[in-house]
Order: sequence, then structure tokens, then C-alpha cells
Amino acid sequence: MLKPLAEKNWNYSTAAHLLNRAGFGGTPVEIQKLADLGPDKAVAFLIDYEKIPDATTNPEWAKPDPARAEKFRAAQNASPEEKRKLQQEEQQLQRRHMMELRGWWLARMAKGPRPFQEKMVLFWHGHFATSVEKVRSAYFMWRQNELFRRLATGNWQQLLTEAGKDPAMLVWLDQAQSRKDHPNENFAREVMELFALGEGHYTEKDITEGARALTGWSLDRANEKYVYRPRAHDDGEKTFLGRTGNLNGDDVIAQIVAQPQAARFITAKLWNYFAGQYPTDEMNTALAAVFRANGNNFKPFLRVMFRSEEFYRAPVVRNQVKSPVQWLVGSVRVLECDLPPTLVSWGMTRQLGQDLFAPPNVKGWDGGVTWITTNTLLTRYNDAQALVEGTLPPLGAGDFAGKPGGAGGEKAMKMLQRVRMGGVDVEKILTPEERADKAAIVASLERRLLQSPLKGEQEKALREFLGSKTKLNNADILTAIRLMMSTPEYQVT
Amino acid sequence: MKNEITLQTRREFLRTTVLGSALSWTVPAFLANTLTALQSEAADSGTQIVTGKDSTILVVLQMAGGNDGLNTVVPFTNDFYHKARPKIGLSAQQVLSLNGEIGFNSALAGFKNLYDSGNLAVVQGVGYPNPNRSHFRSTEIWQTASASDRVEKYGWLGRYFDNACSGADPTVGVTIGSQLPQAFFAKQPKGICLNNPQNYRFMANGSATEESYKKLNEMEMASPAPDDSNSGGTIGSLAAGMPMQGGSAVDFISRTALDAQMSSDKVRDIAAKAQNQATYPGSQLGNSLKLVAKLIGGGLPTRVYYVSQGGYDTHTNQVNTQTRLLQDLGDSTKAFVEDMKAQANMQRVLVMTFSEFGRRVSENANGGTDHGAAAPMFIVGNKVKAGLLGKYPSLAPEDLFQGDIKYNVDFRNVYAAVLENWLKTKSAPVLGKQFEPLPLV
Repeated sequence: MLKPLAEKNWNYSTAAHLLNRAGFGGTPVEIQKLADLGPDKAVAFLIDYEKIPDATTNPEWAKPDPARAEKFRAAQNASPEEKRKLQQEEQQLQRRHMMELRGWWLARMAKGPRPFQEKMVLFWHGHFATSVEKVRSAYFMWRQNELFRRLATGNWQQLLTEAGKDPAMLVWLDQAQSRKDHPNENFAREVMELFALGEGHYTEKDITEGARALTGWSLDRANEKYVYRPRAHDDGEKTFLGRTGNLNGDDVIAQIVAQPQAARFITAKLWNYFAGQYPTDEMNTALAAVFRANGNNFKPFLRVMFRSEEFYRAPVVRNQVKSPVQWLVGSVRVLECDLPPTLVSWGMTRQLGQDLFAPPNVKGWDGGVTWITTNTLLTRYNDAQALVEGTLPPLGAGDFAGKPGGAGGEKAMKMLQRVRMGGVDVEKILTPEERADKAAIVASLERRLLQSPLKGEQEKALREFLGSKTKLNNADILTAIRLMMSTPEYQVT
Repeated sequence: MKNEITLQTRREFLRTTVLGSALSWTVPAFLANTLTALQSEAADSGTQIVTGKDSTILVVLQMAGGNDGLNTVVPFTNDFYHKARPKIGLSAQQVLSLNGEIGFNSALAGFKNLYDSGNLAVVQGVGYPNPNRSHFRSTEIWQTASASDRVEKYGWLGRYFDNACSGADPTVGVTIGSQLPQAFFAKQPKGICLNNPQNYRFMANGSATEESYKKLNEMEMASPAPDDSNSGGTIGSLAAGMPMQGGSAVDFISRTALDAQMSSDKVRDIAAKAQNQATYPGSQLGNSLKLVAKLIGGGLPTRVYYVSQGGYDTHTNQVNTQTRLLQDLGDSTKAFVEDMKAQANMQRVLVMTFSEFGRRVSENANGGTDHGAAAPMFIVGNKVKAGLLGKYPSLAPEDLFQGDIKYNVDFRNVYAAVLENWLKTKSAPVLGKQFEPLPLV
């Protein structure tokens, strides 16, 4: 298992598949470049991204703000009315920063030079599934996002430890409030169930003991960072996953990662994320072995995975439903158009079921075919029109509303009226010769959008559509692009 | 044999073959047999004909996150209760008493109103053996109606559709939202999802575009099944992904595309014509029930509607959050009942709530509660046996299991009652075995 794909089997299709999965897809030129590199260099080009400079700058508010904590302390003595006003201001500020943060990240995915790194950040975001709905701080959400970027392909124990001590996580799973007299079990449970082992690989007793050991991990709210509070820590003896002693949080993580199941769990999830389905038991064993042999470091493991024959075989190839983010970002990349303004990009991904920085629950997005319902499919088809033709997508106030009763929706609708969409430039993606030949248009679009031909009946329908126009203009070609995106085939990669 | 198959339209043909059987896309030769089998199946008396006019309707309302049952239906005179909850326990003044010992959280004025008018039953202490405290596993257990040590891939409503609604229109099950609940997962997937009827259509800049869209989305039959040797595996231990039933992702999407196409016109027509006759809260739940009311009023041939409300995972500062949610729940449900009464459809509708678990009897240090076990369910309708059903679970420390109350009623006895006495179908094929229907309706 996991034998490297032979050089001679490397071609445009395998290169396209790699770029789709280890990134967000790309133009025919980009795919050809990877095809020319050969498999080793193509994989390296994507995953050794440290060599590629990334000039993205941080949002200017992305730093601790001591004045903010001070403001809140002062407000404790304020009148209820002043307090309310302050709260409202704070809410608006966070909303604005969150909007900026979404745009900042989406742009890194859609236009940035390191698509694989961003694809991993997206994986970790879905894996640790932390939501701003509870964290309520754009700075914390940004910090966590940066943590995922910094350790995107690093060591599992380090990432799991740092993710546990991350301010957003400390708030999200209540660890910040856990004290020895009343340990909060939320993080202790989810770190095993959802982050590292999976249900059935620990006992309820491990949860209560783990929660005791984790006490002391806390949040310094004034300085907006992790702090260890010795007085909150339970110094008694605990037995956790078979190890006994005065264990602390670091011991808990170390003990979790030391379980053989830990390697099985995370490698199965990564295989599913990149290959589109969970591995067989046998495959999972092979994946876990590679991961452990490489010291639980992700990068060497992923290199083996992306080089493996299995990754380029049925049923992996062209059998993964695009996530909403992949759909949007990938479309922008292959169509060489602008990412829609953040308000629209956010509205689209949210409508399609993937609200960045606000996953539905601690488990993250189920993904796969659950992305597709009658509702989301029609929305994808209609969003394709907006993206291609540069019109506003059908978004309503409800698509932006925050917490129940929140007023964000109405305001967003007003902002939406000022939004200008870019649309696709037909002359950029089709040569004059192609544009003059209806059959060439269909073939070129298939190669760009699907990297595989449509079914015969579908090709015929598209050709008939173009054929019905006596004088083909660019608007008709845009409609044809939109139609090709309005197929079941375009929803998979 | 092939000549015996007469279907009126190409679309109907495609839909039947596509949805008819998991085998249908593998070997074209099977198609004829499958269709014949389907036709005889439809002739079976177990298959329900859904007209949208007179059949009964179930509205399932999910309270996601694990609602704290003890602060919902409150044993406000119970000493154990107050001892376990010094901070968040509710006193006699903070409840709407039902019998001098038990009362609704005062945020549930809407429910109290329905209770007093004889439209609401409280099933006390509902749970299942060997309760699981994981949100996801416990939700899965409720959605699939499985025993807690068994992983089922299909949902209980999906199995109802498979067993009793074969050949029905895709709108037989309607989820308000963008995600299909696992309860709908089925061998022959049915059910549509929507939240905004105006946008529930393919928006086209001309009739040629629309025609092309239809052709592009009419699924070709018999695309060969991909090599399936790599599926399955550890999926059971990881996630509740929808099973693909051996087909490819494109096959699955094609079926959904066909359902979307077939339901879109009807849903929009109905929603545009129907009027709400009650005022709902502006919440997501309020809007969801508002839309359900319109679709019922307009006569969509639906047996099961599914709506949900999230946010019940109250580990910290529970009181404020739960008050807001219960207020919304009670007010939205009450508005929905008023709407149904104004439509003269109340006798056709039953609302059933559930949450994946209740919460620990003792409060935690953060003014919240951790994951627990049994909790009450609420059943709303004209024909329910209104009042408090079953027994309030004991809170005496010696009666608790790991700090949780023990269940008195298995939720599958409630499902059995809903299936047999409300949806009028045999419950054993749906629930895997015979559960005694609780006398509810």
C-alpha cells in the first residue's frame, strides 16, 4: 500500500487532481506547469510552501488591545444604559473585524501563493471547529487561524497542545473557566472524542480525570492570552488513559497522542479530507504507520499520501463533493475572476452551508454529500450566475442575520446595494479562435472547469444552446459557463 | 417485459429508475425488473398515498445542543433539585405551575397556554438505555432510533419513507434549512430542503437557458458504479456522513438535482399564494414554522416537516441563554398552532420536540450544566392526551446514575406512537422491532 505513483503515469489529469485536492484548483496553465514538473516536484511545489514568499499582512487590529480590557473594567461601574451602549459598540466593532477577517482569509485561499497551506488551515479550522458565535472576539479567531497556519503541517502533539492553550479554544470549550473544585469537562471530552481519538477509545472516567488534570489551563483576559493558574490546578493523583500521577494538561495531550488510535484517527480524517472518503481499515493501518514512523509529523506523511497510487485511483478521483469554500475559491481560481466582495462571498458560503469562523457545532462540517440538498444545489447554480455574469446573488436579510434577534441582516442588505460584482472576462479565458468555434468553446470550458468531458447528452445540450444563437456574443458564452457550472459534475472535484 | 412499463414522461422515468433502487445505476438490465417490482410494491396496501389535503402531518422540532429538562419542566418543590442547583435552580415564583409540584420555566408561557387549552402533552423522563453523553452520538441515536450500542446509517424518518411512501413525490419530507437531518437518510432518499421559497428555483436569463439547465440536469441512467472497495472502513467510528449507497457523488447530486427541479415550481406557487394568519417571533425557528404553516396551508403533499432550533448546550451562564431559547420555542409553537387553527388544519398536525439529551442534575461551577441523560419531550396537537404523561424521574442521589436522572420512557415508544397512531403505519419495520406505542394520541 501507498506505493508511489509511477512517473510515467503522471500527466495533465493527475496534476489537475493534485492541484484540486491539495489546493483549490487552477488554470490550465498552472496545471500544465505541475504536469511538466513530474510527481515529486509537483508535490514538493505545493507542500514545501515555505519556499514561496507570502506577502500577506495582518489586519491592523490583529493584536492584543489592553485598552479594550480597561474599557470593560471601567464599564462595570457604568449605568445600565451606558453598559448597553458599550456592548453595542463592541458588537459592531467585532462584526466589522470579523467581516474583514473572512475577506482576509478567503483572499489568501483564492489569490494567495500558498494554496496548500490554506487548504490545511481550512482542514484545521473544520477539525477544531471553533465558532466566533461563542468566542466573540475577532482577534482570538484570527490568532487561532494563524496558529493553524504556523503549524499547518507540523507536529501533532505540538499542534494539539497549542490548540488547547489557544485563547479561542479556551473560551470555545470552557477550559478557561475550569477550576479544581468544579472541573469543566467540555474540552477534556471533545479533545478525545472529536480531536484525537474518536468515540469508544476512552471511558467516562478518563473524561473526569482528564478534566481534573487540565485544570489550571486558563485565559488571561486582560492580556488576551493563555495563562497557567497553579491555584486552579488539581494537584491530586489522577489516572488518565492508563497513566497515573499528578498529571497536568501537557501530560493529558502527550498521553492522548501516545495512543496508537491517535495516529489512526487523525490520518483517517486527513485521508477523508483530501481523498474524499474514509480509508478502509487496511489503508488506515498503512496511513497510521507512515505517520508514526515520521514522528507524528504531518508534512512527511502528507508527502507520502499525495505521491501514493491510491490517491490517483477510483474511487478517489472526481468523486469528492466540493465544499462551499472550495466551490467559491476554486471557481474564482479557474475562472480567473475577482473574489466577490466579502459581504457577498460570506453570504454565498454561508447560504451553501459553510459559514467560516462559525461551524455549526463542535464536530465541524460533516462535508461530503451532506453539502448537497435541493436547497444548496439550487443556490450553487444561482450563485454561479452571480459569479460569472457579475450580478448580485439572491441573498436575503436572513442570510446575514447573526444571533437570533440580531439586527445584522437589515444592515447587510443596505450594504449589499452598494456592492459591485466583477464577473468573468470571456476574452481572458478563451482565445479568439476558441470564441469563434462553438465546439471549441465547449471543449475548452470542459478542460478548464471540469478537467473531464461531460456526458454526451449534456455536451449536446450545451452545443444546442450555443447553436441556438445566430450571432454568438460574450454574454452567451458567459451563460454557457454558468450552465456548465449548473451541473452535478461541476459540484465534484 | 419492458413493454409493460408505461411511464408518462421522461422525467418520471428517470426519477423512478434513479430512486427506485440502489441497483438501478449499475446494470441497465435490472431496470425492467426493478420497475416491475416497484409497481407491485406501490400496489401494496402499506404504501401511503400523499395528497396534501387530508393526510396527517408530523412536524419534528429538534432542540439541538441538549436541553436542560430540569429547568424546562421544573420540580420546583423538590429539595434534591434545589440542593443540586443552588445558583440556577428556579423557585416557585419563577415557574408556571402545572400541578403545585411541577411547573414550566416561566419563559414557556406559550407552552403553558397550549397546555391549558388541552393541546400539549409533556412526556416526562424520556431517554434510552445506556445513554451516551456525546452530542453527536446521542443525536445519531435519536435520529436513527438505534440502540445505543448499534450504529445505523439510515434515519427513522428515512425508513418510514422507505417503508410507507415508496414512489411518493420528493416533497413527502421537507426540511427547513440547508442541511438534511440524519433522520431523513434513507435507502431511497426522499425529502427536500429549503428556507427561502422565492429563491427555490433556477434563475435563468431566458427560456433557452432554463431549457438547457433542465437537460443538463436530467440524469443519464446507468453510469457505472465506481470501484467501491475503498468505502466503509472506519466511517462508523468517525462521522455521520451520509452513506452513498455504492453510487458516486455525481449520482447522488444528480438525484438531488432532479428532486430540486421537480419540487421547485410547486413549492414557490404554494408559498406565494398561502398567507400566514398568526404573528411569529422573528427568530429562525419562528420563520421556519411560519414557512411550514404556509406549505401546509397551500397543500404541499408532505407527511413530515423538520425544523430545528440550536443553542441548548449551556455549559456556562445557562439561565439567560435557556430563557431566550425557551421563550422563542414557546412563542413560535403557539403562533404555529394559532395559524393551524385559523387554517382549519390543526386536526391534521402533530408537533413533536426532541433534544439529544438532558443535562446533569448538579449545576457546574460556571452557572451552567454538563451533558446528561433523560429529558422531557413535548407533543402538540388537537388530539393529544394533554397533560403530564409518565412519571417525573427521581432526583434522589441514590436513584441517579453518574449524576444523571434515569429515563422512564424510551423515546422509541414515543416514535412508535407517532408512527402507528398518527402516521398510521406499522412501527416495527421502521424501528427494527416492536415498541409499545405510548398512549399519546
